[in-house]
Amino acid sequence: MKLPKLVLIAVGKLAAVACRLVGRDAGNFPGLALWTIDKSFLRCFSVDCPVIAVTGTNGKTSTTNYLNKIFSSLPNEKCVITNMQGNNLDTGIGSLLLHHCDMHGRIHADHLVLEVDESHVPVIFKYLKLETLVVLNFFRDQLDRNGEVETLILKVQKFLEHSDAQLVLNADDPNVVRLCPKGKKAHFFSVEKYEGATDELYEAGEGKFCPFCAAALEYEYYQYSHIGRFRCPRCGYGDVTPETQIKDIDFDNSCFKINGEAFTSKYMGIYHLYNLSAVYTAAKLYNIDSKLINDAFEDFQVNNGRMEVFRTSDAELLLNLAKNPVGANMTLRLLNQYKGEEQLLFVLNDNVADGLDVSWIWDINFSIFNNVTKVVTSGTRAYDIAVRIKYSGYDAQKIVPIPDLDAAAAEIFSTGGRKFAIANYTAVQPTRAALTRYITAKEAH
Amino acid sequence: MYPGLLDLYGDSGNVEALRYRCAVRGIDLEVFTHELGDEKRADIADMDIIYLGGGADYEQQQLAEDLISYRKELSDAHKNGTFMLMICGGYQLMGKYYKDSNDKKIDGLGLFEYYTEASTDKRDRCIGNIVVEAELDGKKYKVIGFENHGGQTFGSDKPFGRTLCGNGNVRGGEYEGYMEERVIATYLHGPLLSKNPLLTDYIISKCTGIEQLKKLDDSLEERCRDILLKRLLK
Repeated sequence: MKLPKLVLIAVGKLAAVACRLVGRDAGNFPGLALWTIDKSFLRCFSVDCPVIAVTGTNGKTSTTNYLNKIFSSLPNEKCVITNMQGNNLDTGIGSLLLHHCDMHGRIHADHLVLEVDESHVPVIFKYLKLETLVVLNFFRDQLDRNGEVETLILKVQKFLEHSDAQLVLNADDPNVVRLCPKGKKAHFFSVEKYEGATDELYEAGEGKFCPFCAAALEYEYYQYSHIGRFRCPRCGYGDVTPETQIKDIDFDNSCFKINGEAFTSKYMGIYHLYNLSAVYTAAKLYNIDSKLINDAFEDFQVNNGRMEVFRTSDAELLLNLAKNPVGANMTLRLLNQYKGEEQLLFVLNDNVADGLDVSWIWDINFSIFNNVTKVVTSGTRAYDIAVRIKYSGYDAQKIVPIPDLDAAAAEIFSTGGRKFAIANYTAVQPTRAALTRYITAKEAH
Repeated sequence: MYPGLLDLYGDSGNVEALRYRCAVRGIDLEVFTHELGDEKRADIADMDIIYLGGGADYEQQQLAEDLISYRKELSDAHKNGTFMLMICGGYQLMGKYYKDSNDKKIDGLGLFEYYTEASTDKRDRCIGNIVVEAELDGKKYKVIGFENHGGQTFGSDKPFGRTLCGNGNVRGGEYEGYMEERVIATYLHGPLLSKNPLLTDYIISKCTGIEQLKKLDDSLEERCRDILLKRLLK
């Protein structure tokens, strides 16, 4: 028996109120409650504005937040709804919609900008009309939870065959370009070859073979992991002309150009530039002025463990979330770019939300580890990451495993200077808390 | 063999562990790779060890034909005492056959008598931490790893070890893998050799003929094992 829409909405709204009454976060539970009653509960909602979704393995939260900021800055914009905290499954998005809808399930907004988990794209947009889909990349990520990358790609691909959404796709990821259905035109984005690009694959990558004819793909260069200018020598797969390309990258002055216009950004990591290229492409589909885009690029700050800086009187630590090897490799690239000595804190948990399998740390490339004078490891798997780093050839005497996070924070700050920290999914908030506790206690003295 | 295709769960770390534990002892280790599409190697039987990791169904199908063309060489290598280390997909492909989750049957090399069948329900997989008790030169050793396989392997008459925690060859099973003195075939990722230094040394011993390997400082590895064993075997 299916409950009528009105009843479902009322139940969901009550669940949200109950959550708040007991002081629990209502980011997922109300949606989960409805999902338990009715797997197709998303049908209850009706949305009358454009829906823009961002998916892909890495960079969803940042890209979505940029787009939210840009749309919100439009002169006549009253309401942009976004899952800023990354509740990106059907239950999380259901909770968000419950929060914003009236008792009939109607949502009145100017734009809905949603971060959506790759595996949930078909589920969610079976019920909500999707206008624009941004696909950033496909990497191996929490394999024991998400299944093989290929399975995920096929899921999204199948969905797109019957969708009339406009597509914003990464031109340099062979796992993404293939999503464009035959005969359809996608809006491709890219970043020109940057100074850290390599001729050979430097980090573990996915999609080494052509999905159409199985020949080994050829690369002019790799930007990072398997992202780069690729082409199938047999069938020509990969010959796409990007609509947007970030050019003239100037790392010293943190700026670059798109279509001849100059932009400035706080964050200049290569993976971040790809996100910005995606943001620009999506924003231009809505004819948004470049000045508003640049304002977002310039001001945007994410203080949630993604490129977050922690300072003491004599030290500066950059914390970055890494849910998978590519994420960790990005932080190591920044660490290796830094010219002086530095220390690294690596916090690794194996809770359910992380994926129980920590073997992905072996796909992190520790072979270059410039001027690292000490590594502190922490989390439920502090010793696994310590062994991993030891086997890459780093001096075991300089590795200090401390499962307790507060003790680990004290250890990493026991000397001054530049530090980098990597924490995986469930580790990132506890790490932020421990670092903050340490800094607050130190300042009090 | 096929490190590009059979490297799903950090399995290349096994080579890194062998390389590391050889290097600190001054043992030369040269690694050759054979990828799909490479010219045929004539020297397979001359290797001290042959290693195959695990891959996704799609990738295992891609390389099955190429692998079968090496049936004679691999069989000769096995007879000549080349050590064979095979994880997950590599393990399955050395048996009689592998029926994958799309109900597609791939012939194995048939080096060993076991065979593998996967449920067509792609969600029906054995996933989780696993500990098996193996016997290495008569000494019991708890081997730690992570299993993630849809295939259920039957007919392994000489298992690698007894399952203390996790599944092993079949769901809820009692035994895991297949072993001979110079063959280890198992579902354990982790990577296997990074979690179990004595197993790595067992393999190095068999490959080099050095019975008493120089002892190494394994305090990090042992602490890692202690914590995991305590958690998993409680």
